[in-house]
Amino acid sequence: MKRLALLASALLIMAMLAACAGGPASPASSGGDTTTQTDSGGSEQAASAREVLIGYTASQTGKYNVESTRQVNGLNQWMKEVNDAGGIKLADGTVVTFASKSYDDESNGDRVQELYTKLATTDGADFLISPYSSGLTSTASPIAEQYEKVMITTGAADDANYTQGYTGIYQVYTPASKYLTGAVDMLKAKAPDVKKLAVVHENDKFSTGVADAVKAYAESLGYEIVLFEGYDSATTDFAPFINKIEQSAPDAILGGGHFQDGSTFARQLAEKGVDVPYMALLVAPPEPTFADLGDAAVGVVGPSQWEPLAKFTEAAASSAGLTWVGPTGDTFVSDYQAAYNDEPSYHAAGGYVAGMMLGEAIKQAGSLDSAAVKAALDSMDLLTFYGHLKFDTSAEAHGLQVGHDMVFVQWQKDGDGNLVKQVVWPAEGATADLITR
Amino acid sequence: MSAQNNSGLQPPNTSAAPAPSRFRSGMMGRLLTPGLVVILVAIIAAMIYGATGGAARREAWYTVLLFVGLASSLNILLGYTGYVSFGHIVFFGFGGYIGFFAIYQLGWNLLPASLLGGAAAALLALGLGLAILRLRGAYFALATIGINEAMKALVINIPALGGPNGMVLNFGIYASYGGAAQAQWTVYWATAVLTLMVVLTSYIVKKSKFGLGLMAIREDEDAAEVMGVVAPRAKTWAYVISALFPGILGVLFFFKASNIEPAAAFNLNRSIELLVMVMLGGQGTVLGPILGAGGYQLLRTTLLTSDLALFGLKIKDIQLAVAGLLLLIIVLFIPVGFIGWLRSRSTRLRRWLE
Repeated sequence: MKRLALLASALLIMAMLAACAGGPASPASSGGDTTTQTDSGGSEQAASAREVLIGYTASQTGKYNVESTRQVNGLNQWMKEVNDAGGIKLADGTVVTFASKSYDDESNGDRVQELYTKLATTDGADFLISPYSSGLTSTASPIAEQYEKVMITTGAADDANYTQGYTGIYQVYTPASKYLTGAVDMLKAKAPDVKKLAVVHENDKFSTGVADAVKAYAESLGYEIVLFEGYDSATTDFAPFINKIEQSAPDAILGGGHFQDGSTFARQLAEKGVDVPYMALLVAPPEPTFADLGDAAVGVVGPSQWEPLAKFTEAAASSAGLTWVGPTGDTFVSDYQAAYNDEPSYHAAGGYVAGMMLGEAIKQAGSLDSAAVKAALDSMDLLTFYGHLKFDTSAEAHGLQVGHDMVFVQWQKDGDGNLVKQVVWPAEGATADLITR
Repeated sequence: MSAQNNSGLQPPNTSAAPAPSRFRSGMMGRLLTPGLVVILVAIIAAMIYGATGGAARREAWYTVLLFVGLASSLNILLGYTGYVSFGHIVFFGFGGYIGFFAIYQLGWNLLPASLLGGAAAALLALGLGLAILRLRGAYFALATIGINEAMKALVINIPALGGPNGMVLNFGIYASYGGAAQAQWTVYWATAVLTLMVVLTSYIVKKSKFGLGLMAIREDEDAAEVMGVVAPRAKTWAYVISALFPGILGVLFFFKASNIEPAAAFNLNRSIELLVMVMLGGQGTVLGPILGAGGYQLLRTTLLTSDLALFGLKIKDIQLAVAGLLLLIIVLFIPVGFIGWLRSRSTRLRRWLE
């Protein structure tokens, strides 16, 4: 009797576990957000049509939510456009259209490998897009490589991701080491009286990479770094850092991190009335919502992967001997605004370009084979509305973005006292002069 | 299986000083209970189920087993001794960092590196325990949060550990473990076996005289000392045991993820989730953290990847809110946790649900 009861309870537990597992594990009920923009003209070529599935995780919750959502919007817009245009024709006549599948990674790495494995295996994704942020991308990379999937990274700027021997990971963004060095060039050219710099940055992977690189670059140009401090990612009170800034009296502040800490930092600096003429922060200033800070935003400079104001044209491409691909900047902006009722930031452009590069590589390769698409990406050298795109093909830093450069924006007041974003660097793309805070 | 099994039937607080003769009747006899069978079957079934459905299922169950191991290790301190540690994840992160450093900088193999990570975490607990276990109640809980944050700040400022950048493993390293796919299987099995060991340790502690001493401390520390329990020593050993396994699990986790960063290693949210898992299942029981962690993680995975819609909102978009609501209901209506509630409802069930 006792043995029987033992056996029964064992079976019960096993049944419970199996029932619990049914949801997440069985491919039949696999969920996720599948976005499909079907091509209305596709039915005529039904015999040779193929839908390509792009897999990624998005940060629908957590601290990367703002940036990640825009990135996903950009990707979705590209998918809609390419599908509306009838898809891409392969060498064998097959017409491919695109669909995507995504999960929420909650802005932390605990489940990134689990979700990417699911995308690459049971969901059958043909290609992958990276999560937002360098840390999550590093975690996803071994999975992409292991299943021999091409992964286009966007929102993952840290250089270290691309020096780990991966062969199928390609970067859309300018790498972190080149993120703020342009600001130093700008100060040298536009504000020669600046001598002392304070670098105050978020203590995370990306921002520290940027800060280390800008410190080395500024010192090589003869600037004095009077303060070099990192703050915790969750910092909401910057008073200790602001006190140190006041004590060291720099001519310019460089640093920041992501959107939330960057905008808080800028607001508190303005509230305390800190008198530093120039300030360049990462990530936050180019965001359209940075204008919500009001007067605190005035004079804040930010490096941007791309700006709506930046003009890259087909004519510029032909004069530089590059192939031009995709829409003009104006078309991208107006289409994006029509779709999302929001001005696109560079995160949106990054998402769009990640898709567009993948599509272009498939078109060049004429096939969906990973090796052929990799070869096409390796030889890619394009000009788009987002700028120049070219990848490092050496074994040491394969996939690192080497073509693209940053533009610098500054929030200024126009004649009516409204806050507007102006491009202040590089000089050839500038729409206004650099002002002090 | 006879009279000596009954020690498991009695509520722990009344069995603090049972007749000595009962203990001499053999450790093995006391350990072999129906409850042990239930626990072993649960873990082994989960292990095998996770390994037999391809890589996607393995990954989902890896997360489940990892958190069962972590929650069970926390339970050794929280459940038996009654000391609430908000910063238990510090051992996961610290062990992970030490082991990762050994692999990344010193070129160690995963196995010795994992053991080193575990030993480092246990040593940290030994040092900390002697200092902060003198604090009681809320003061101890606060100190544990402080230690986690202090450790994060410390690591950020050590360039050898990569500072805020952390460390990234070269993909080529997996080749020496039979390729990335094989390395992930190795990590899965190692984690599964470790989780089994944590749970067995938790069970043995609960059934031992040492465990009774811990439970006496939980009920009334002063009374326990009067009765001959050397409270500081017992608490410190409980802390050390509960820290050892998270250290090893951390090395395996970050090796698999191929990178480690301070924010990911010393993630206070994960620590609080562990507390929720233990409370959910029932603190002070061996089965409780298993069901709590397993149930919680499976619920989260299901909600994250679900297509279900509720009033036009996809559940996966509001999965955090749904998970939070469920937790609220459980904490409000069954504060002793699921296993605790079952045990209080039926004396018959007690021998099955340890």
